[in-house]
Amino acid sequence: MISVKHLKKSFGKNEVLKDINEEINQGEVVVVIGPSGSGKSTFLRCLNLLEEPSDGEIVFEGTSLTGLKEQDLNQLRQKMGMVFQQFNLFPHMTAQKNLTISPVQTKGVSQQQADQKATQLLQQVGLGDKLDAYPASLSGGQKQRVAIARALAMDPDVMLFDEPTSALDPEMVGEVLNVMNELAKSGMTMVVVTHEMGFAKEVADRILFMDDGYIVEQGTPEEIFENPRNARTQNFLAKIL
Amino acid sequence: MKKWIQAFTALCLMLTVLFTATLTVHAEDDSLQRVQDSGQLVIGTSADFPPFEFYAGEGDDQEIVGMDILIAEKIADDLGVELVIQDMEFDSLLPALETNKIDMIVAGMTPTAERRESVNFSDIYFQTFQNIMVRDGDKEIYDSIESLAGQTVGVQTGTLQEELAQQIPDVELMQLSNINDLILALETNRIEAIVMQGPNAVAHAENSDTLYTFEGEFELDEQDQGSAIAIRYGEDALVAAVNESLAEIAEQNLTEEYLATAGEYMAQDSDEGFASKYWSYFLDGTLMTLFISLIGVLVGLVLGFILSLMRLTKNVIVRFIGSAYVEFVRGTPLLIQVMFIYFGVGIFFNLPALTAGIIAVSLNSGAYICEIIRGGLNSVDSGQTEAARSLGMSKRQSMRYVIFPQALKNIWPALGNEFITIIKESSIVSVIGVGELIFQTRIVRSASFEGILPLIITMLIYFIITFTLTKLLNYYEGRMNHD
Repeated sequence: MISVKHLKKSFGKNEVLKDINEEINQGEVVVVIGPSGSGKSTFLRCLNLLEEPSDGEIVFEGTSLTGLKEQDLNQLRQKMGMVFQQFNLFPHMTAQKNLTISPVQTKGVSQQQADQKATQLLQQVGLGDKLDAYPASLSGGQKQRVAIARALAMDPDVMLFDEPTSALDPEMVGEVLNVMNELAKSGMTMVVVTHEMGFAKEVADRILFMDDGYIVEQGTPEEIFENPRNARTQNFLAKIL
Repeated sequence: MKKWIQAFTALCLMLTVLFTATLTVHAEDDSLQRVQDSGQLVIGTSADFPPFEFYAGEGDDQEIVGMDILIAEKIADDLGVELVIQDMEFDSLLPALETNKIDMIVAGMTPTAERRESVNFSDIYFQTFQNIMVRDGDKEIYDSIESLAGQTVGVQTGTLQEELAQQIPDVELMQLSNINDLILALETNRIEAIVMQGPNAVAHAENSDTLYTFEGEFELDEQDQGSAIAIRYGEDALVAAVNESLAEIAEQNLTEEYLATAGEYMAQDSDEGFASKYWSYFLDGTLMTLFISLIGVLVGLVLGFILSLMRLTKNVIVRFIGSAYVEFVRGTPLLIQVMFIYFGVGIFFNLPALTAGIIAVSLNSGAYICEIIRGGLNSVDSGQTEAARSLGMSKRQSMRYVIFPQALKNIWPALGNEFITIIKESSIVSVIGVGELIFQTRIVRSASFEGILPLIITMLIYFIITFTLTKLLNYYEGRMNHD
């Protein structure tokens, strides 16, 4: 579904991604782990071109994203939902409006249809009573659940999660992971950058370990957690487990 | 950097060429014909100079009167046209004449050699004398030029008196553009004396118990002794016509009659109180100030919006133009901009002072509002754009639905502050004679012979306006923060 070929990304002289090659398949849940500064988030943000790759190619559902016209890129992005560490809800809109603004404006869905779908999605993430709440009145965990529902409102083919629980108080991590868990069970293709090793173990089909701009090692959760082969993977896991 | 310098040099060159071209091309002398065709004789004067020109009248019916005005009326009558008077600062008169804003200056102006270099003069219509004005209590101490040695002496900027005062040994000069300010400085002991044109000094001394004046016995060129009417070079036909009228005035000894009439106006001290007599001036001025500021902010808003879009676009040239405009306008004083628009641009388009003032204020506020809008847009977290774009919104859509509504919250209060700033700064357009609050204050000070009271009233008016607006803004800002 997503092919990454020789992806490189530099910020000025700082080369963050050095040579990434990866294939993400339909229905797969891929979890990306690694030390901070290893390039995990940049890799994820390159997948929907929030960061423009310095070199290499991203192919999504058969279309190369790099060098695509603005308009076509916007259309493809509609199929790639993204959830951010800082939620990035639109603070001047209610939860429901957060969910409906893009379907209505970009896909021409009627407001009524979008409202119905938003209601259903917010119920799905356990926030059926928060339709008219503004983000400022929601807790961190609630905000992130609205953010997930907002991405889902676009009917995406893949969901990208960029450290979705890192900004949350510990007691709110669970409610967000639960929603993600449900989503994974429903068959959604997901790429998740996270430090939640429990979630990785339980939900991931495949784990990528990144360090210093490379995917150093990858495998099933068992392979990575029980029997890591690379010294850097071992070193990293020893520190966090 | 090199590009910058090249562009700047090119701009300077272009402006210089344009200006010298228009200034040096002299048409045939159609001056007299032009005035008669237009049916109007537009004279410039500085109406704080009794008995030559000053404001007098009852309440609302204040008008410029004085000997010069009567002379100008006679000239206009002889030409068979209507007299139009433009009142402005004395300093601004020569530029106004040179840039065709007015046909002639009738302002008790002395035809000094320096002035003759830039403009032509009629025959001298009034032989005048030069006085020294002191406080009544000091008349025993200061009774001659020598007695003022080493003292601080006030003069009006750009006048003959400014040169004459140099004859006082070791004198320190205080130069102000307004005679009423000089008199106030004298009354409040800031200066020890003022060198003033004789009849003007006498007029002020007669209206005050605290002032005393005597003839200064300065050394003078013969031609420095009188007042004449200034007219542009190359307009000899108009000069000839004026001289004809002046000759008639001299023949019939009309100046004495005119002076007497002017004296009557000055003696017209009604029993009305200050407030009831002059409130309409303050009202007119306040409304004009608000009008200029409001238009300035509204036009500035449109301009600022366009400029901020220019500064945010990817096109390097468009962005450069936007940035250059904003930096240039913010890097130069509004005073210069106002004078440039009125006098400079006025060479090509004959802009009325009010239009020129509003244009200058709008162009100025546009640059500041551009930065307010840009600052507001930049203050919105970049995560908002990312979220919008990741949902598939285009740049335009994310700007319109996500970024701009949030930026507005920061933009509104800053816009309010800009409005308040403009209310205060628009006072600068008074230099080109726009009748806003500061200008009206000058008229009241001149007409009432009151130095400080009008200043206090004006200060209070500005404060009440800006304070009320600030409170209103805070109120709405507080309400907007609820969500």
